[in-house]
Amino acid sequence: MTGNTTILVAVILFSIVLIGWLVLRPSITATRGGKMLAFVALLIFPVLAGGMGVSIQLEHSKTTTFCLSCHVMEDYGKSLRVDDRSFVPATHFQYNLVPRDQACFTCHTDYTMFGDVNAKLRGLKHVYAYYVGTPSQPIKLYQPYNNRECLHCHLGARGFEESEAHTKDPEAMSRMKLNQLSCSTSECHNIVHNVQQLKEATFWKEQAK
Amino acid sequence: MKSQPTKIENRIRLAGILLIAGLLVELVTLRWSHPTAFLFFLLLGGALMALGIVIYLFSLISAESKPSPE
Repeated sequence: MTGNTTILVAVILFSIVLIGWLVLRPSITATRGGKMLAFVALLIFPVLAGGMGVSIQLEHSKTTTFCLSCHVMEDYGKSLRVDDRSFVPATHFQYNLVPRDQACFTCHTDYTMFGDVNAKLRGLKHVYAYYVGTPSQPIKLYQPYNNRECLHCHLGARGFEESEAHTKDPEAMSRMKLNQLSCSTSECHNIVHNVQQLKEATFWKEQAK
Repeated sequence: MKSQPTKIENRIRLAGILLIAGLLVELVTLRWSHPTAFLFFLLLGGALMALGIVIYLFSLISAESKPSPE
């Protein structure tokens, strides 16, 4: 349990005790002190607990374990451990190019002003599809993967800017930066999760620390 | 002799019960790592807490404090 979660649990439990007292003895609200207690217990603390809860839940929803907790995502989780550097997500995960505890979110959020909100709204759409509809198999992105998400980290990096493959064609770099030449579908980095190939794949076994 | 609870007291009691239910939902969903927990937190916990707060605020603006008929 993180520090914030511990604080939230304490706030919730304290609120429950205060509110429980008011529920059992609502007559105390007739006094000035009782009115103040009711204001704190029935408004301030619940709003505080709700706000902290939203923040913690949103933060929690960025974690890899959260994304992989749905059955349909299991193969995508496995694909992060394929022992093959041509698998782009696996390389990012295994070589710590993305934080492992937020591996899915790091690549699948939009790096725009409301990107996190959009990502969470898409997540709600996923939950709806999971329970009410039928998730497409294999799972597809709603829209083509935007280079912006790759460039958020790679832009300006020597490995990206000076790569022979990227500089060979003088126009390629600017087209990549303008999202006119896709990183992932232009035959360059096109091996992503490829869950259909997992049966033949070998997997990386992380050394115990 | 125990006096009858006033309307305000009844509303505060109802608001309290809803808020406790909402807080308990929040507590449970904190320990459950699944997108469903996120939905429960938002839709069930959030609704219960919002309703509890609205009923409490409504009790503040309603000046009625006579004993309720029941």
